[in-house]
Amino acid sequence: MKLVDALKALRSTPEGRALPLHLVCGFTPLHLQTFLAAHLQLKEPTRKVVVSSGLFGDCVGNLERTLELDPLPEVAALVLEWSDFDARLGLRNVGGWRPSDLADITRTVEAQARRFASAITRVAERVPLRVSLPTLPLPPVSYFPGAYSGAFDLSLRAAILQLGAHAALASNVALINAQRLDYASPIGQRREVATELASGFPYTLAHASQLGKALAELVTPAAAKKGLITDLDDTLWRGLVGEVGAHGVTWDLDHKSHSHALYQQVLVSLADSGVLLAVASKNDALAAAQAFELREELAPLHGSLFPMEVSWGPKSQGVARILRAWNVGADSVVFVDDSPLELAEVQAAWPDITCVRFPKESDAEVYGLLERLRDLFGKTTLSAEDAVRRESLRQGAAFQQEIAAGGVDSEQFLAQLDADLTLTVGVDSNDRRALELINKTNQFNLNGRRFSEGDWLARLSDPQAFVVTIAYKDKFGPLGTIGVITGTLEQPGHGLTVDAWVLSCRAFSRRIEHACLKFMLEHFGAAQLALEFEVTPKNGPLQTFLRDLFGSQPIAPLLVRRSEFEKFCPPLYHRLKELSV
Amino acid sequence: MSDTAGRLTQCLSAYFAGLSLEEIPRASMATVGEWDSMASVTLIAVVAEEFGIEVAPEDYERFVSYELILDYLETTRRVS
Repeated sequence: MKLVDALKALRSTPEGRALPLHLVCGFTPLHLQTFLAAHLQLKEPTRKVVVSSGLFGDCVGNLERTLELDPLPEVAALVLEWSDFDARLGLRNVGGWRPSDLADITRTVEAQARRFASAITRVAERVPLRVSLPTLPLPPVSYFPGAYSGAFDLSLRAAILQLGAHAALASNVALINAQRLDYASPIGQRREVATELASGFPYTLAHASQLGKALAELVTPAAAKKGLITDLDDTLWRGLVGEVGAHGVTWDLDHKSHSHALYQQVLVSLADSGVLLAVASKNDALAAAQAFELREELAPLHGSLFPMEVSWGPKSQGVARILRAWNVGADSVVFVDDSPLELAEVQAAWPDITCVRFPKESDAEVYGLLERLRDLFGKTTLSAEDAVRRESLRQGAAFQQEIAAGGVDSEQFLAQLDADLTLTVGVDSNDRRALELINKTNQFNLNGRRFSEGDWLARLSDPQAFVVTIAYKDKFGPLGTIGVITGTLEQPGHGLTVDAWVLSCRAFSRRIEHACLKFMLEHFGAAQLALEFEVTPKNGPLQTFLRDLFGSQPIAPLLVRRSEFEKFCPPLYHRLKELSV
Repeated sequence: MSDTAGRLTQCLSAYFAGLSLEEIPRASMATVGEWDSMASVTLIAVVAEEFGIEVAPEDYERFVSYELILDYLETTRRVS
């Protein structure tokens, strides 16, 4: 992005609520502030991005003073450079580069890194923090020739990496991936000596733009995809299994098909981090099944693939069945196939699916695909629910099949589910599951509201607010934490306002939503619940629930009176357990 | 308006959103409240990027009015 384009991007005046970000750095923020604001503005076009900054020359002080800001910013960005650890590592000070100074510089950097570590932990308890470790090359301080690494520069880098590792483990902190920034902004093209000396701004415009973009990515990350549908022949493996048989398909170095093994390895990793995997293949179903049975190297993957849609029908129809089984939106799904024709057919039927070609003819491009898959599905934390998601989907399919099979009285069926519902009032600020659920659930979602990390921390520290999480298990297995309700309390005994309520699609048809309302009314002793309901393009299941419960189309604002709810609520069979944090 | 003047107008317009295109040729530190030293530093960067030039520190003081910047650009570009 050019600076003039960044300035133009900031001229927009969106009417949504402001997005206040505090930029913490030790140098004059100048164009970095402009680029960061502009990249963020482009990512958040409905909100007015407002970037504030602190005092020149006092980075750690600026960081510590972040907590004195009133109101607190929604998020803070900490941009560190070498001179923030010791002024002698910048160009605007001439405190000495003598060989006898090096030991003291090392000690100063290590001490300052410890001070930053402590401040980062403290600030991030209340304000989400995005951190960039030093991105500029070290100046020629050491007597070593430039081609050598010595104990001096390696010790400095070790101190910084130790700080980074500490920060990465802290709650509400995210760090820029230095390797990714290296791709976008070559290290030799980052420092602008003239402006560093003239105005205290150390970056070239190109680097400031890339750094601003990288920080904006961390402030408003793209929602991770939920499921991947893969083709088999010339994608999961090399060769046509229907022609060469189960032992003829390959994924190894000897057959120059190792890139398929790398793809399989990433798929197994994705599955273990909670991503749903399925197969859509035009193929001989028996031959495909034999490959999974006879080739034991595929065993880790085989257990993760559900459903397997292998037939000679159009792939878009197989994809339709997979989406139904997963009960997720097409926009959360990636389809990988080597055939442009098949990709086009699926894309035409499902425009919201991300269709990606498996570039079987180029190992280098397959490597690029692996990186792209990490970007599409990446998440910064794994939860217990990630481990049970796949199994709970299989159980959910069995659950739906039992209902669909008929012959079973649905009331009797629900009564015999042996269901345990755990409702926990309050959330640990380190527990990311509730926020993740609110921000990724579309179908059973009261109004589509999303929370930034800053909004969420503010919610958790608000004495008038409540957060309830819902976990469920029955005889088909555990679903984990599948719902969140949050809002504000009014006077005891009067009522409460719910401004966010989500329930995972895996938990539908078990009357969990009814149990939630009953719990809320009883636990808080409320005469009524005010639901901040809004129609969204995707919350049809929530609308259906409300319509079925009250017998009419829901209209905002929606009041649920206790007496009315008790009249309409169907029988509930869950064993309720209440916890508090 | 020359090509240089037109492009310079666009540069100033990007920074001083409140100024109309007619007002920009008369803009200076004395007439535009927003035009402080930080604005000058940003304008130097925007102009350098737009015209593909490197502004020497001794020329920074000329970035105090549209007219002076235009004169600087026309002189510099004639020389180069």
